[in-house]
Amino acid sequence: MTRKITEPAGQTRRGALRTLAAGAGAAALPLWARYAQAQTSEPIRVGFQVHRTGIGAAYGRWYDRTTQAAAKLINEAGGINGRPLEIVAEDDGTDAKRGAEVVEKLATQLRCDVGFGTLFSHVVIGSAPRAGELKLPYFVVSEGHHVASGMLNRWTLQPGITDVKSQVQAMAPYVSSTLGKKVTMIFPDFAFGHDHRDYFTAALEAQGGQVLEHIAIPPTETSFTRYFPRIPRDTEVIYHVMVGPAVLTFVKELGEFFGPSRPELFGFIDSLEAVSLASPGLEFLDGSYFWEGNPRYAQSDQTSHDAFFREQVGVDENGASVSDPDDVSTYAHMFGCWETLYVIKKGMEIAGYQGPDDRAALIEAVEGIGEMELSDQHPQGAKRFNGKTHQAFGHQYISQVQGGKLIKVHTTSIEDTLYPDEVDYTTQSL
Amino acid sequence: MTARRLLPLLLLLPGGPAFGHASEQSFVLLLPTDVYAGAGVAAVAATVLLLAVLPPHAAGALFRPLPLWHLRPARGRTAVSLVSFAVLAALIGTGLLGPRDPLGNPLPLAIWTIWWIGLVALQGLLGDFWGWINPWTGPLAVTRTLTQVRAPLRYPRRLGFAPAVVSFLGFAAVLLADPAPSDPARLARMVAGYWLYGYLGGVLFGPVWLLRGEGLTVLMRAYARLAAPGRVRGRRALGLPGWRLLRAPPVPVGLAVFVLLMLGSGSFDGLNETFWWYGVLGLNPLEYPGRTALILPTLAGLLAANAALVAAFALCVRAGLRLARANLPLAYAFRLFAPAILPIALGYHIGHYLTALLVDGQYVLAWASDPLLRGADLLGLGPHPVSTGFLNRKDSVRTVFLAQAGAVVAGHVLAVLLAHAQAVRIFGGNRRAALSQAPLAGFMVLYTLFGLWLLASPRAG
Repeated sequence: MTRKITEPAGQTRRGALRTLAAGAGAAALPLWARYAQAQTSEPIRVGFQVHRTGIGAAYGRWYDRTTQAAAKLINEAGGINGRPLEIVAEDDGTDAKRGAEVVEKLATQLRCDVGFGTLFSHVVIGSAPRAGELKLPYFVVSEGHHVASGMLNRWTLQPGITDVKSQVQAMAPYVSSTLGKKVTMIFPDFAFGHDHRDYFTAALEAQGGQVLEHIAIPPTETSFTRYFPRIPRDTEVIYHVMVGPAVLTFVKELGEFFGPSRPELFGFIDSLEAVSLASPGLEFLDGSYFWEGNPRYAQSDQTSHDAFFREQVGVDENGASVSDPDDVSTYAHMFGCWETLYVIKKGMEIAGYQGPDDRAALIEAVEGIGEMELSDQHPQGAKRFNGKTHQAFGHQYISQVQGGKLIKVHTTSIEDTLYPDEVDYTTQSL
Repeated sequence: MTARRLLPLLLLLPGGPAFGHASEQSFVLLLPTDVYAGAGVAAVAATVLLLAVLPPHAAGALFRPLPLWHLRPARGRTAVSLVSFAVLAALIGTGLLGPRDPLGNPLPLAIWTIWWIGLVALQGLLGDFWGWINPWTGPLAVTRTLTQVRAPLRYPRRLGFAPAVVSFLGFAAVLLADPAPSDPARLARMVAGYWLYGYLGGVLFGPVWLLRGEGLTVLMRAYARLAAPGRVRGRRALGLPGWRLLRAPPVPVGLAVFVLLMLGSGSFDGLNETFWWYGVLGLNPLEYPGRTALILPTLAGLLAANAALVAAFALCVRAGLRLARANLPLAYAFRLFAPAILPIALGYHIGHYLTALLVDGQYVLAWASDPLLRGADLLGLGPHPVSTGFLNRKDSVRTVFLAQAGAVVAGHVLAVLLAHAQAVRIFGGNRRAALSQAPLAGFMVLYTLFGLWLLASPRAG
């Protein structure tokens, strides 16, 4: 291998090797020899803005693993436009200011064709303006509503994962029709919790339901029992979205407060992402419901695409690493990296992408991508990309905890997740 | 906004340049940590009370070393240091030119995980590795031999340990406040710069520079004095950790302050992650802004925490002297008792970094399994060599927590014993020794509580 390939300046070492040594026996063959038909054997460089250190590192590890698995498959299948794909990972420390620096570095020093993979919203919001200035296509995987809300720019897209606004509003029909119309919401008292409060309250009222009480918990709270008496007696459903290190304490205290007779519980799996539901103290959750971006446990009607995705990423039927059953993945979110890479691939193929001069064409190609079918490339489910708002819409899942596992009980339609456009990025010049 | 909601398992990164791992903090909050803390504090308090009623020299007797075999004069230090220097140079080169991944490039792993977390702890437990592997003594010896020039400048005595204090605080500032201390290229430049600081000082002032001016060697030498193995009259000897401190004269005041800064900086590297600290800063810990936004508050906190610790320690020593009606000068007593703090600093270091070691140590193994970055798997670790699954189980989290708490409590018990034994040496009788130690012992009991609270309290980025 040439130095260029064994020591790319911005590599995740092991992942790089896995990506580049695509296919058995590849190590024996110079990589470029396998792409000789292309006009250039230069890899397409996807700059991966990864939370390798800092608060997002736990997610970053799984985002990295998923990304490397998808990149390996893409290379095994011939790369993009006949050129190998190279993941150029750069840590941003989950730091908004560094995020912007990383984007600049990816675009200039590391000669990346696109930026990709950012998860934490404050990093996305800190980085996207720089990507816009540098005209670097910037594919984020953060779930934030900030893309579709119009606060970013034409160079920023979120085609591989749905946004929180669509997720939250899509829960309302099932909650009101199946669990109950009188809801009490418990959420942390800052922007994230307020989004849930606003989106869900409106969506529930549209379904004829009612939020009886909004219980906002200060973010630094670590004990919750004193808030529970505020839950109205006629509450049929508790909608909870607690986050932070005290989330297990919250669940435990809620269980202790209600005992065996409790209202229905509905939550977002984000609270317990990467935590085994068989953990002690979580027994109380049995019978309760969760939004899942992608069902963590392999379901009885599992698609071949989900099975394929699990196999390639190295995740077992419980959503844990095949190498350690306690190492539970961030299954509800990490598919977004996989699907986004395939959108980049498809966009580059449509645009006939050859290099940075074609970046604008790539944006336009992705804007026109439209429907995406359930497939090995989109194992979470079919999606619809809104070229105006730069946001993908897709199915959401509601699962019930049964015997320490999450069993899917409802799949929303894509229509359930739609809301009126708030921006038309295509009116901005490229 | 949304991805902020992806916080549940993220909220824990012990240590500044800490590397990736999931949060066991959710499980820690389910543990009866108040019971554990109560037991730990009681153990330290019981030690204090026991010492007051035991025969005066009981504590000192505990620290009597057991002489073992005769030691031969050690040879080869220069060669080992040269090898260490070569390794460091190679690591710096890899940092600059190698993979950009902080968990894949061997430089951040070597500096933060192997050296700072691992070797510093081993130095305090097992003895003076650093005397062999520090990367300056060899190159300085070679420079002297080649140039035939002795140090052209005389180290100004009045500087004392000031350059060491400043350089150690600089190190702590990087550890805690730098936006990207694990960035391989950035770290490579910082390490190279620091090596030059040590080397040029050594060239100008001679070997004394490493003993007075270069903070990391001063830190390592301080910890080495704590180790169980040592030397007595030419023989290898083993004793309770800290036994050598009791046989030494009072340390210079600069070194006494330095030892307190070791504890103060270590304690702040923990306090600065707590929800409490975020409350002080008026920030929402669930909206961690990233290190860049926290540089100034972190630096201010580091200095304030250290100043507060030095002041509190001096006040305790002074109050003890008054209680015991001793007419020792405060500075003398300060120099005498400050080294007793070392076991607390080491216990806290071990406790604070244990989870980081367990996670990042796996990245070190992954690197060792494929040191030439060719996709090898020499150690047979498989395709997924790193797992944080043990942080997602209550029983393993409990085990880790108790090990951390054990290190903190053991450090405090040793510190109480050391300080008491030192007091008995100076004051003779048990009563005066106990009186002189009462304020300091009370301080150590409270510090135990503080250390255990740090381990158990909710943390942000």
